[in-house]
Amino acid sequence: MKRGWAWPGELRRAGVLGINRRNLDLVLPYNPRANFPGVDDKLQTKRFCEQRGISVPRTLAVIARQGDIQRFASLVTAHDEFVIKPASGCEGRGIIVIAGRRGAHWLSSSGEEWSLDELRYHLSAILSGLYSLGGQDDHAIVEQRIVRHPIFADLAVGGTPDIRIILYRGVPMMAMVRLPTRQSRGRANLHQGAVAAAIHLVTGETFGGVHLGRAIAAHPDTGAQLAGRRMPSWEIILASATRLAEVLGLGYVGVDFVLDASGLPVVLEANARPGLAIQVAHGFGLAKRIEWIDRHVADAMPRAELLAQLAALG
Amino acid sequence: MNARRISLWVALLLALLGVSGALWRAQVRQQVRLTHGDSLWRVRYAVDFYAEKRGARLHLASPMDTARSRVFRRETYHRGLTPARHMAGTRNQREIDLAAEREGALRVTAQFDIHVSPESRWRVWGASEGLTAQTNAASGIVASTLAPLQARAAASNLVATLFHFCADDIAEGAVDDPGDVETILARKAAPPGGKARALVALCRAAHIPARIVAGFELDSDDAARPIIWTEILQEKKWGAYDPERDVAGTLPPNFVPVRRDATELAWGTSVRDMKTTFSIEALPPPPGVLATGRRTVWEILDLTRLPLETHQVMALILLIPLGALVTAFFRTVVGLGTFGTFTPTLLALSFVYADWHTGLFVFAVVMVLGLASRSLVERLKLLVVPRLSVILTLVVLCMAFCISLLDYAHLTPTPQAVLLPMVILTMTIERYFINMEEDGMRIAFQRFLLTLLVACCCYLVLRWNTVGHFLLAYPEIHLVTIAVLILIGRYTGYRLTELWRFRDLTVPAEQRAGPP
Repeated sequence: MKRGWAWPGELRRAGVLGINRRNLDLVLPYNPRANFPGVDDKLQTKRFCEQRGISVPRTLAVIARQGDIQRFASLVTAHDEFVIKPASGCEGRGIIVIAGRRGAHWLSSSGEEWSLDELRYHLSAILSGLYSLGGQDDHAIVEQRIVRHPIFADLAVGGTPDIRIILYRGVPMMAMVRLPTRQSRGRANLHQGAVAAAIHLVTGETFGGVHLGRAIAAHPDTGAQLAGRRMPSWEIILASATRLAEVLGLGYVGVDFVLDASGLPVVLEANARPGLAIQVAHGFGLAKRIEWIDRHVADAMPRAELLAQLAALG
Repeated sequence: MNARRISLWVALLLALLGVSGALWRAQVRQQVRLTHGDSLWRVRYAVDFYAEKRGARLHLASPMDTARSRVFRRETYHRGLTPARHMAGTRNQREIDLAAEREGALRVTAQFDIHVSPESRWRVWGASEGLTAQTNAASGIVASTLAPLQARAAASNLVATLFHFCADDIAEGAVDDPGDVETILARKAAPPGGKARALVALCRAAHIPARIVAGFELDSDDAARPIIWTEILQEKKWGAYDPERDVAGTLPPNFVPVRRDATELAWGTSVRDMKTTFSIEALPPPPGVLATGRRTVWEILDLTRLPLETHQVMALILLIPLGALVTAFFRTVVGLGTFGTFTPTLLALSFVYADWHTGLFVFAVVMVLGLASRSLVERLKLLVVPRLSVILTLVVLCMAFCISLLDYAHLTPTPQAVLLPMVILTMTIERYFINMEEDGMRIAFQRFLLTLLVACCCYLVLRWNTVGHFLLAYPEIHLVTIAVLILIGRYTGYRLTELWRFRDLTVPAEQRAGPP
């Protein structure tokens, strides 16, 4: 007998964090608005990372003015693979991943053909703020495309998976890997149909899984099991995320990494209002971990033990 | 003290302030501020008629505001008829426009409470000075009457000569004497109102703009009759002349104009056996009349003091926060996503301006055509602002032809019905299109339906005319609205949609693939 909803009491017992509580108790007090540009503008996030020695995709060009669009073709002549993204985009909007060329056209990672004119039009749409948060004028970033790590060969369709770490008061609190599907058209955004699997904080191993808000165990396109994959360079990822959260000055932040073919984690972006679907991927809520961190953040506890205790909370 | 507690206290304080303010105002509400020499009058219309079909229209002209008189309350009783909305129209010629709901004998009564002051107190809204009135070429007996008068008068006082001719040389006839100008001039006798008509005809023949005004002379009377006088344009100002009561130049304060260029105060289409009676009574001065002095700055707080024309719009404006309240509730407590934060409120507002089925029809047509044109425009690869402008232009064209189509189908919408939604719709189309491209048809359509759903809920609130007028009388009630919004703003519980979204999380851990 399956009910289509849960009572608020049940969710509270399961430690589920709701959006209203996230906004009022986490985002408002711990993320000062003055620090938002560090995450809302990806160029700034990149600068922060570079200052702290955290790897980011190499920037090939920044297009700031409509006039620069004419020079776009000459900017990318040396590259067959690149990514175009708005500097202040959200939810993965306006991102195009170019994976190769066919004659005069470019091919996106999901197989669509783009002519030079179409790319120019897209760039001008980015500059005029179509994809930016408040609709203000924006810059377009052209950067190196990260080739995905072989561990994801049977777990991602048409795009590059990313690993999201959510940190609370500087402590990595939960992690997941987001896997593109055919339905999400190569994107790693859950509401567009991507799959997510939870990652164990200590071991870096996947478990659980969610697709369109429902718990699943296998990738819907490939049928591969989601659980039991160990993320390479897990220690580096955790350390980089912690360092970045500190320099961003945000107490509740999600940091997105991708693993390049050599297994090196690269920061794609950070998010000051990370979504709550990570809870569904884990099968339990964030609230218990938040309370635990609130109690123990002042304790001088070795990092490994801190994470082990957190992970054991469920 | 933390933010949560402060918010609670502020909300409580605002709610208390709002309620006590409204209660206090209710106490003093009845007092109209009067200065010495002012008087209050009630003019009542009773119209009995037979509506020949459903949709038959009845119009009542309402007394106008002048510098020395002002309608401060208006009530209409119209069982079996629905008011047709009139947001615009000539400003000073306020009509009550009613449509019959069924065929049959109907009765409408309307009463207007008028505040009369011996000195000029009010600015007249939409002053009538600039209006033009036609002048006619003289013919027949009008010309032959005018010629000797023109010869006798110097050019500067022709109006005075014509006035004295009508006042003194035309005799006062019986009520049922023929009232057309030719007969009046030929017989030199006029029924009530005939002298004014003759004066207008003579002035127009002499190329002086003149017009008929129908109104009341305020004086207690159970069977009052509207009186008719003349307004003549001289040196760019309309002066009032009444040859029957020897008024020349300025109007006595107790003359209240009701309708210009026509003499019926109640008229209709598809109605017959219409019988209209009028009564006028002096109202007793309200309590506190002697205690209150001249106008004070505190009057600003009383919105009902504003001219009646503005009441409808003001009431609607005051309802907007309730629309915002509905939207805030849906977004933070229910958890429904919509296109834009206040799009639903504005959409609902536009539905209120129109009747809702016209609004919905226009909305649907424009959305479909707008989306179709948006996908065509997409191929042209335009920059954002010009592209939006192209869509706006197409939306405007759609609207224009929608109005034309509705008119062709005899559904005549008011143009205001479509004025407001245009810009909102353009933005909605753009948002819908981006949403469709990024997240797919299903999510975009779902969000579109949710926007419409929330808009409908807002509409149910906004169309609540009674509440709007209540808010006009007690605007401080909105302090309570703010209080409720603060409480919603501090709501940390789950959204209703989250009860569904996170339903899988209540399954005990043992039954799931747990952490290794």
